[in-house]
Amino acid sequence: MSDAVLPADPGTQAAETRAAAEPVLSARGLVRVYRIAQQRLEVLKGADVDLFAGESVAIMGRSGAGKSTLLHALGLLDRPDEGSLVVRGVESTRLSKPARARLRNKQIGFVFQFYHLIPELSALDNALLPRRIEFGPFAWAGERREAREKARALLAELGLGERMGHRPSQLSGGERQRVAIARALVSEPTLLLCDEPTGNLDERTSGVIADLLFEISEKRDHTLVMVTHDAELARRADRGLQLHEGRLEPLDA
Amino acid sequence: MYRLHLASRYTFQRPVSYLAMVAIGLAVMALIVVLSIMNGFLEETRSFLRGTTADIVVFPHQIQFAYSREALEDAVAEHPDVRGACARLVRPAIFKVYGRAPVLHGNSRDAAQHQVLVLGVDAEAEIAVTDFSEYLANVETPLFRVADPERPFHLPIERIRDLEFKFANAPTVLVSEEMLSGLLLRPGDALNLVTVPDSALQLDGQPVKPASQTFLVAGAYRTGHYNHDQATVYISHKDFVRWTGTQHQVSELYVSVDEGADLDRVRDELDAKLRDIGMVSTVETWEDRHRIWLGAVENERNILLVIFFFFLLLVCTITFSVLTMMVQQKVRDIGILSAMGAPAGGVGGVFATCGIYIATLGGVFGLVAGIALASNINAVKDFIEDTFDIEVFQKEVYAFTEIPVALDHQWNAAIAGATVVGAVLICLLPAFRAARMDPVEALRHE
Ligand SMILES: Nc1ncnc2c1ncn2[C@@H]1O[C@H](COP(=O)(O)OP(=O)(O)OP(=O)(O)O)[C@@H](O)[C@H]1O
Ligand SMILES: [Mg+2]
Repeated sequence: MSDAVLPADPGTQAAETRAAAEPVLSARGLVRVYRIAQQRLEVLKGADVDLFAGESVAIMGRSGAGKSTLLHALGLLDRPDEGSLVVRGVESTRLSKPARARLRNKQIGFVFQFYHLIPELSALDNALLPRRIEFGPFAWAGERREAREKARALLAELGLGERMGHRPSQLSGGERQRVAIARALVSEPTLLLCDEPTGNLDERTSGVIADLLFEISEKRDHTLVMVTHDAELARRADRGLQLHEGRLEPLDA
Repeated sequence: MYRLHLASRYTFQRPVSYLAMVAIGLAVMALIVVLSIMNGFLEETRSFLRGTTADIVVFPHQIQFAYSREALEDAVAEHPDVRGACARLVRPAIFKVYGRAPVLHGNSRDAAQHQVLVLGVDAEAEIAVTDFSEYLANVETPLFRVADPERPFHLPIERIRDLEFKFANAPTVLVSEEMLSGLLLRPGDALNLVTVPDSALQLDGQPVKPASQTFLVAGAYRTGHYNHDQATVYISHKDFVRWTGTQHQVSELYVSVDEGADLDRVRDELDAKLRDIGMVSTVETWEDRHRIWLGAVENERNILLVIFFFFLLLVCTITFSVLTMMVQQKVRDIGILSAMGAPAGGVGGVFATCGIYIATLGGVFGLVAGIALASNINAVKDFIEDTFDIEVFQKEVYAFTEIPVALDHQWNAAIAGATVVGAVLICLLPAFRAARMDPVEALRHE
């Protein structure tokens, strides 16, 4: 069964590693149906995918194919109507809402096309948000300070050392997306889910952001999933998948 | 923690939240001020009525025969809690300033000013039982004061202004200072009091002949209560009897009671006793006597509770709309928070906390502003009157020279507290809506 989703290039070293290791996320038969009035819109019709530690995966598909829907399901933001979704050995579809929220907070980092920063918060506070959500009201001061230092370091690493106190409205598109990347990385998640992260940027900035994402995920061993319309970008990933007719297929090179 | 952090940003970075706080604050402030003034009026009214009314008043039912003044006074004074009692004769009259046309301008307004209640009193007893000597001392213009406060009805011959009355040995009258100055009269001037004499009432079928008597003004008194002073004159008991030819010795008996005694109990005991000895009377405490008036002020204060309810509705409507607006504008943020792993309760908590901030700060602002304004209401009144040259508070209408204010901190706290609780509770509705929002739909929200 897992053969179906294995990549088409079984010769490489990466594939061998993948076959040996346990996937960090394993989705089987994901179905997502939207009902609008009397109409039934089946967006996902049984999508399967295994994601392994440290790899980068590009997902392509025409507009409206359901890429965002799939990403939301993989990121535990949306519950699929059918199918199983195991994250780090936990069957997520059977978890309660708060438990899924906790899992999402610890294991998943999202980067969106339109940045989705909170306008009232500074770059630093935006980047810290997942940690602040993680901490209850009784978190150690030391733990808080550590998180803050980590967020600072991340922003500095992404070239925003001088802009930490700035609001999103005071930053350029590329800078905003870097803040969003810092926010996605601050909890050291297993999975980094990016929905057209360069879709809203000019060509040059797109290149820089893409470089950053690949570089960072490689360096820190995050699993990078990137939805993109850019074939050039998709080629740089370890493997590519195509969402077609509600299912995932290997992307032919 | 992110809840407080985000809520404070959401709240304090939007002008509309300040607007909501101010609205809540103003509502609380207005209520506190109005309530304080009403309490002030009630307190002042009570203390005023307390001052111009005896503790207990006895109204004899003299249908078959006239009660003896001494017998009645003695019977009442026998009660262990009674300090003293003085009999008064009371009769309505119209008056005319001697040598002037009866009614100044021939209109009903002036005519109304020429009717008074004449009290026939025994000065000595009156001074012993009531605040009579204070009323005499309260007179502001020295020229208007009586010559001898011990004998208020005594008018020295040199004060008589009209030669015609120098040696006429005319009876005297005490008129309020306000009336004297209003009528341009002075002690020593003469006025006529006209009433229906008792002798006329006895002759069935005969046309009534009024009894007119000239009185000389012996001096002025001032109780400080405009309504009372505009329509009451005092003459001596003896002159009253001579003028009206009345058989009665008592129209009402003013009774003063030892401090701390239960007035209702004393009233009931006096009533029973007078019934026993055959001097059936109506006995009333000062509160019974003015219950309609006191009840009216108290009733107005209760109406305030109804108004408070509407204020509360207003406050809730405002906070509800501000919070609903906030949630609507923050739909995308709700999606973001969910994507970052905030549980539904946390998302709702952010907005509930915004509501708590707005309601609490608004309530505290209103409480402080309300107490400050109520405490300084007279300074504010003076400032408005001086600045805009208008009269905000007509002392003639209210019988008080200042706006009376009594702060009731328990009530103030209750008003502020109930408003805050109401506003917070209503905020839970939009917060709940935010919590139940689907995160994916929220993220897709334009
Ligand atoms: N809440 C919803 N109700 C109804 N239909 C929806 C809803 N959300 C998405 N859809 C539909 O599901 C389909 C897939 O949407 P999705 O956003 O996943 O596409 P996509 O592949 O991300 O497209 P794009 O490349 O344009 O972002 C679309 O046809 C969309 O209209
Ligand atoms: Mg999409």
